[in-house]
Amino acid sequence: MARAPSGFDLETDVVCCGSGLGAVSAAIAAADLGAEVVILEKAPKLGGVSAFGGGEVFVPANRQMRALGLEDSLEDGRRYFEFLAAGYGSRAHREKLLATLHEAIEYFEDRAGVRWKACQGLPDYYYPDAPGTRASGRYLSVELFPGESLGEWQHRTFLTPIMPMGALHEEMYEWGGLARVTTWNYELLGERITKDLRSFGPGMMGYFLKAALIDRGIPAHPSTPVRELLSDEHGRVVGVRAERDGERFSIRARKGVVVAIGGYDHNREMACMYENMPDWHGVFPDHLHGDHLVFGTEVGAAIASVPPTNLALFYGYHIPGEEAEGKPLYRSSWECGCPHAIWVNRDGRRFCDESFYKDYQPRIRHWDGRRQHQPNLDVFLIFDGNYRERYPLGSFMPGQPLPEGLALEADTPRELAEKLGIDADNFEATLERWNRHAARGEDPDFGKGHFPWSVRLCGDPDYPNPCVGPIDKPPFYGIKLVPVSVGINSHGLAWNLDAQVMHVRGHPIPGLYAVGNSAALLDLGGGYQSGTSNARAITWGYVAGRHAARS
Amino acid sequence: MAETEYTTTTPVAMETLWDFVKEMDHWAPFVTGYQHHEKQSETESTWTLKGDVGVLARTLTFRVRITEWNGPERVRFELEGVNEPMTGAGTFTLSRESGGGPAADAGSAPETAAVPAPAPHKGFFARLAERIARLLFRWRHGRVERPGALADATTPAGGDRILTRMTFHLRIDPGGPMAPMINAMVQPMLVPAAEQLAERILAAVEGRPAASENARSVQS
Repeated sequence: MARAPSGFDLETDVVCCGSGLGAVSAAIAAADLGAEVVILEKAPKLGGVSAFGGGEVFVPANRQMRALGLEDSLEDGRRYFEFLAAGYGSRAHREKLLATLHEAIEYFEDRAGVRWKACQGLPDYYYPDAPGTRASGRYLSVELFPGESLGEWQHRTFLTPIMPMGALHEEMYEWGGLARVTTWNYELLGERITKDLRSFGPGMMGYFLKAALIDRGIPAHPSTPVRELLSDEHGRVVGVRAERDGERFSIRARKGVVVAIGGYDHNREMACMYENMPDWHGVFPDHLHGDHLVFGTEVGAAIASVPPTNLALFYGYHIPGEEAEGKPLYRSSWECGCPHAIWVNRDGRRFCDESFYKDYQPRIRHWDGRRQHQPNLDVFLIFDGNYRERYPLGSFMPGQPLPEGLALEADTPRELAEKLGIDADNFEATLERWNRHAARGEDPDFGKGHFPWSVRLCGDPDYPNPCVGPIDKPPFYGIKLVPVSVGINSHGLAWNLDAQVMHVRGHPIPGLYAVGNSAALLDLGGGYQSGTSNARAITWGYVAGRHAARS
Repeated sequence: MAETEYTTTTPVAMETLWDFVKEMDHWAPFVTGYQHHEKQSETESTWTLKGDVGVLARTLTFRVRITEWNGPERVRFELEGVNEPMTGAGTFTLSRESGGGPAADAGSAPETAAVPAPAPHKGFFARLAERIARLLFRWRHGRVERPGALADATTPAGGDRILTRMTFHLRIDPGGPMAPMINAMVQPMLVPAAEQLAERILAAVEGRPAASENARSVQS
């Protein structure tokens, strides 16, 4: 444990480590109670993974739903969250999350100018099967955010290459979703990009960062990672040691340190160990190294976890030559949800509903105990000429030649199987069975296209089953996929209902808070629903900032 | 369509500059995102660049065909994407000009007239107005004059000083349904790319370090 120096280089009330949604929410909430706040960010730009993602915030019975006349209740929201948790995590944390969520969301709308809007037409993941689900309205996103209002920070905030810049959620669905990408309104998107009108994660973080940096004047320092926490003789965290341009310096935090630096996607050793996977890649820029688990445990913090089995792990690929922020870009594969595409394992067999990642995640981890073998870890995306004529692959439009090294191509399924190194006999049988049922729009084996959420995202409305189509037109293509994480990890710092980090001996560590993906998913438990990560970041950031400011 | 034009001047003789630029191997590495190139003939070559549109960089391969080779005054070329739906064209022009004012430039687009002609011994507000006009012009048309270039050309230096004026013009036409969006993403990148290429060429022939920081400052 690093003891606080006799004299600090700088002094403030609250140090927020990170500049994503959790950290900035905490910064705003603390500043509004009169605290002096500083934001320290490891990356060269601000916004964290929150700015790189879809910017959905999952809020049952939200204010915008009521305005639209969409019926919902907090009780149904609670039932759905309990379903997601599947008995894991902490009910007390979930209860407080749901009890505080509206207060936090509306606070940032009313006090920080965040312009929320409900995404109409996008169902809950498990609608209509799970208890308490709704068909529409629970996802909040933001109205277009003018990037130029960030002033000097306009070009020092993250944009995202994985979401269509300038499009709003509901527009994306109105235009036909991913399967109809050729008919989107690119004239409109071009105009918005030229004007730097931001949507999705960059738009959401634009509102929060403007409220913090511009409206409240909170200082922020990119390229300034926190290296260690500083404690006094009583174990209270009283500051941090950070680094800038190779120089280390100390900052005293009179009221608290809020740790919100994301997870550990880019610490491959840590990720493989904690997530129980032999391989790991991340969608986001390379700044998520699990530093919180290192400097947190140095001051006695406990680590908590939920099962990694069904959180938010995708499978995807890297397009040769594609980079974001100077590093190879990995994309989640959504192609598997479209017609004319399936997944097979190395045995050449299907094993899941490819259109619903909540179904494929646990099945990928299937463990054959008799053979001590995980047959589905090697995943191959299979598609054909039908697919290439109609649908995109990553950023490559239908018909556009694919870059060398991305996909293997063959004239027959057997030839493709041999190239991919999968069982050719099984693969031929798999395709024969798939095509026989696909002609009728059916998938009796795994129910591809069952969930309206999948259909909305990837489905082609021209098909009887929008997610099912035969794979029978040469050439045939195959891509070996790899795990691609979106920053939501199973392990994090343990924390209490005030967002204080817990010591391994069971008491809160005074002066230390953890929120966002740095905090273990005790409130979500064993499941995940898009938008819940942002919802908990905002809520617990709000809780942590206020608690610290009042301490 | 995304388009840019960059003009600058140098005291280096036009023939010397031409001797440098006529051989693409000399300046190919100066192209932003350059990976490699291969000459198929005197007029055809294939280039691979890492194209950066701000949030995403992608490896682009395209064929370049020279359509006019009129040294030392002008080179025209066309380009076509190999792995991307993209076409384009460009010109590279050199001309002499005396210190008395910009000489006629065969390669300049008509929009040049929109840039106020600089007058010698301008006062502060005149220079400020010119700077604002250029800034506006650059934003609207993606066209840049190297800061100081016109001033160099018009500063009396004990008589008519002969300068070489170099203009690089590039147009990119993305194809496919996403073309309007690609245009919007590519346009802001073209201006600094054209400027960087011209600056690096001049630095090489003038025997000085490339003013890369200056090049970047124009973008911001």
